[in-house]
Amino acid sequence: MTDSPQLPDIQEVPDAVVERRRHRSSQLIWIIPIIAAIIGISLAVKSYMERGPVITITFKSGEGLESGKTKIKYKDVQIGEVKSIAIAKDRSHVVVTAELSKEAEGLLVEDTKFWVVRARISGGGISGLSTLMGGSYIGVDAGTSSEQKDKFNGLERPPVVTMDAPGRQFVLHTKDIGSLDIASPLYYRRMQVGEVVAYELDKDGNGVTLKIFVRAPYDQLVKANTMFWHASGIDITFDSNGVKVNTESMASILLGGISFQSPEDRVDAPPAGANSTFTLFSNKEEAMKRPDTVVETYLLVFTESVRGLPIGAPVDLRGVTVGEVSKINVELDTHRKKFSMPVEIQFYPERLRARYLKKAPQGKAIGSRELLSALVEHGFRAQLRSGNLLTGQLYVALDFFPKALPAKIDWSKSLPEFPTIAGSMEQFQTTLMQIVQKFEKMPLEELAVDARQTIQNLDITLKSADKLLKNVDAAIVPEARSMLVDVRKSLEDLRKTLDEARKTMGEAKQTLSSEAPLQLDLRDTLREMGRAAQSLRLLGDYLERNPEALIRGKKEDER
Amino acid sequence: MRRTGVSAGGLGLCSCQACGLVSRPEDSIGSARCPRCDARIHIRKPDSVRRCWALLIAAYILYLPANLLTIMETGSLISYRKDTIMSGVVHLWKSGSWAIAAIVFIASIMVPLFKLIALTILLVSVQRRSTWWPTQRAKLYRMVELVGRWSMLDIYVVTILAALVQIRSLATVKAGGGAIAFGTVVVLTMFAAQEFDPRLIWDPLRKESDV
Amino acid sequence: MTIHPKPLIACRECDLLLREIPLLPGGTACCRCCGAALYRNSPDSLDRTLALVLAATVLFIIANVYPIMGIEIQGTRNATNLYGAVHALWDQEMRSISFLVFMTTILLPAIELSMMIYILLPIRLRLLPVGIPLILRILQSIKPWGMVEVFMLGVLVSLVKLTDSSSIIPGVALWSFGGLTLMLAAVASSFNPRDVWEHLEIGIGEEVFK
Repeated sequence: MTDSPQLPDIQEVPDAVVERRRHRSSQLIWIIPIIAAIIGISLAVKSYMERGPVITITFKSGEGLESGKTKIKYKDVQIGEVKSIAIAKDRSHVVVTAELSKEAEGLLVEDTKFWVVRARISGGGISGLSTLMGGSYIGVDAGTSSEQKDKFNGLERPPVVTMDAPGRQFVLHTKDIGSLDIASPLYYRRMQVGEVVAYELDKDGNGVTLKIFVRAPYDQLVKANTMFWHASGIDITFDSNGVKVNTESMASILLGGISFQSPEDRVDAPPAGANSTFTLFSNKEEAMKRPDTVVETYLLVFTESVRGLPIGAPVDLRGVTVGEVSKINVELDTHRKKFSMPVEIQFYPERLRARYLKKAPQGKAIGSRELLSALVEHGFRAQLRSGNLLTGQLYVALDFFPKALPAKIDWSKSLPEFPTIAGSMEQFQTTLMQIVQKFEKMPLEELAVDARQTIQNLDITLKSADKLLKNVDAAIVPEARSMLVDVRKSLEDLRKTLDEARKTMGEAKQTLSSEAPLQLDLRDTLREMGRAAQSLRLLGDYLERNPEALIRGKKEDER
Repeated sequence: MRRTGVSAGGLGLCSCQACGLVSRPEDSIGSARCPRCDARIHIRKPDSVRRCWALLIAAYILYLPANLLTIMETGSLISYRKDTIMSGVVHLWKSGSWAIAAIVFIASIMVPLFKLIALTILLVSVQRRSTWWPTQRAKLYRMVELVGRWSMLDIYVVTILAALVQIRSLATVKAGGGAIAFGTVVVLTMFAAQEFDPRLIWDPLRKESDV
Repeated sequence: MTIHPKPLIACRECDLLLREIPLLPGGTACCRCCGAALYRNSPDSLDRTLALVLAATVLFIIANVYPIMGIEIQGTRNATNLYGAVHALWDQEMRSISFLVFMTTILLPAIELSMMIYILLPIRLRLLPVGIPLILRILQSIKPWGMVEVFMLGVLVSLVKLTDSSSIIPGVALWSFGGLTLMLAAVASSFNPRDVWEHLEIGIGEEVFK
């Protein structure tokens, strides 16, 4: 119970385990921590050396960005990672802190751009679909400046052209932007060669300024006199020339687009410099119209209806448009109590250039006045013609009318009047009147009487002819019929004879050489045949000589 | 012969769990402290059996949801599967990684089961003061202590996979409710093993010899 | 002055009262009854343990700073270190599991290592740190809860699980964890608290004798 007496009893020998460990030098063990320390330090140093720059990027929202996960990629190669996302103090934007790898240091210059790559539908199409699978990332466009920077403002949408894309930018002015947007395509001969990069309302609000980018080598095609026009959507025009449907591409129908072309005759002009300014026209026609520097206004007075003549209708000289209608009025001539329609036209004498110059033997352009006066003398007039029967549109045609009434251009008036001639509708009417008049002049009644008489005579003649035919029919036909019967009989005899002959031939084949009487018979038969043939021949001869015998019959004596 | 001997508790002596010093506690209730290391000393762990039972029963209760609930949800482009521990093992086996399937099976199914059963045996035998194979029971207890921590394996696997495989819609791994239950089971069994006082195995023998 | 012939010791497992005997270096004393190990004689245990603990600490830091491994699926990469994994689990609303993993693989091993350094380093430098008993008690209670080696196995299992669906990029921490596992096992086997208690007693004795 007490401990003391029992203690001496409890001398025990505990089991000692076999000695395994040798007493090693205690100093060797320190190698282990030293090695560990070396490894640790070298790793730390390595990671410190390899540490890349830390930058901040501001975005409007942190959509699609996750701290610690979102990567930063340049040309699809990962160069960094987002470390943290914080809301700015004034709560207007989001500040993203990102750590980049060491190699990316060179990219961090003044005009480097950052944007969030997400699935996006924009002017150029759908982009960034891979982010639906792998998550958004931040894209980088390296700038070319040499100023280092570590605080960036992120873009809200990817830049339309990357910094290093070769090409040139140009500036376009237009009245309204139509259906264009950033990344709307730019076409040359229906090939996409560039995009709209940016647009902005003019400061005075009178138009829109667009910045476009044309990729190399197509930027060489843009010359100083290149015309740009809206190629958006579908252009359908219904005018005196017919119906026209014009479109550039499906994309441009949806997204709008711009087309450009240089005028055909000056292909070798030098390319335009970067950032040159051009005007953006509404459509191709307007763009390709050569600016007419000389414009002359004339007055055409028409007395017929000008319904269907639109403003802007072409003034056409045998197919070449040399002007257009600019104003249409109506005037009441109180003196003569008539309405007249004065139509103002713009006339571009330059379009007559080829002929124009030909008439100038001195090499100097003759004044259009002399030319026009000369033409008018020869019957050059203006006339309203129907351009499109479908729509009833009219246009003004200039042409020579030899039968025109003589007229002169009065150059003294401020708005000279160009002589006109009635339109083709009216001419048609007058011609019709003339025909009708001619018709009226004809002695129709007398003609009718004569005709009646002639018909009666004809009737009689016909009746007698009819009688004749009947006689013929009665007289000749039986004769002919009997003759024919005779002929037939002879022919039948002939056939019979031939049959017999064939039989005989057959027998004769077997007994040919021997039987003389057979031969005699044969000869007789042949003689008969000859006679029959002869009579036939005679008949034929007779008929040949007297073919009317077939109708009239043989004369009694000759039968 | 080997089994006889006096236990320290039988003599009223107490060995400190922390420093091993054998000392005589002033009063056998509660707040005796070791003279050398000032740790609380007890002749036997207080309420050892009761506490151990409580923890063990809680572990038993949670063992069911641990195995029935999903422990890991794996999502990929083509499939989305929810795995319990068992189905995960089966999946591993079927996909050819036999070794890994065996390891996970041992660690996540056999070991917890072993712990639960072993502790139950120990507790029952101690409560009934049986003298049945004490050495083996002591060895059993040692095994339970050794092996206990390895059932955390599956939890760590789920942690790593859930942290790494986070690629939006391509592949995702998420821990499921079964992981919480299983983690709790592991912790509970570890606590239960800690609470169990192995000296109680030997006490019936000592008492016999004492008498 | 009572001469204690041989100090008493009670077996941890079976509570048998025994007398201690002197051991040769490297020897282990075991219980007569149940065979449990009682105490060891490991020479230079403190120095050795300190060296191993320092190495383990370095490896532990490396293992926590660097990513364990990364996977790559379809060009997207993802890598994580240990704390990142814990954090990921926390974000997934698995708070309790996250806490558990954090405790058993980061916090408790860290406490263990730092406490060991706290004790062993001064001793090496012939100083006596304060609060040894408390710290040794804490060390002993923490011991079963540091599960770095289980975590290591877990990493390997995940590695094998992932190799057939994506490409794996092993990280620095992977190797570091392997080394840490070995180190911690070595520490566990070489650490002998008895030597610490002896130092304490010597120190106290010295103080007394001063």
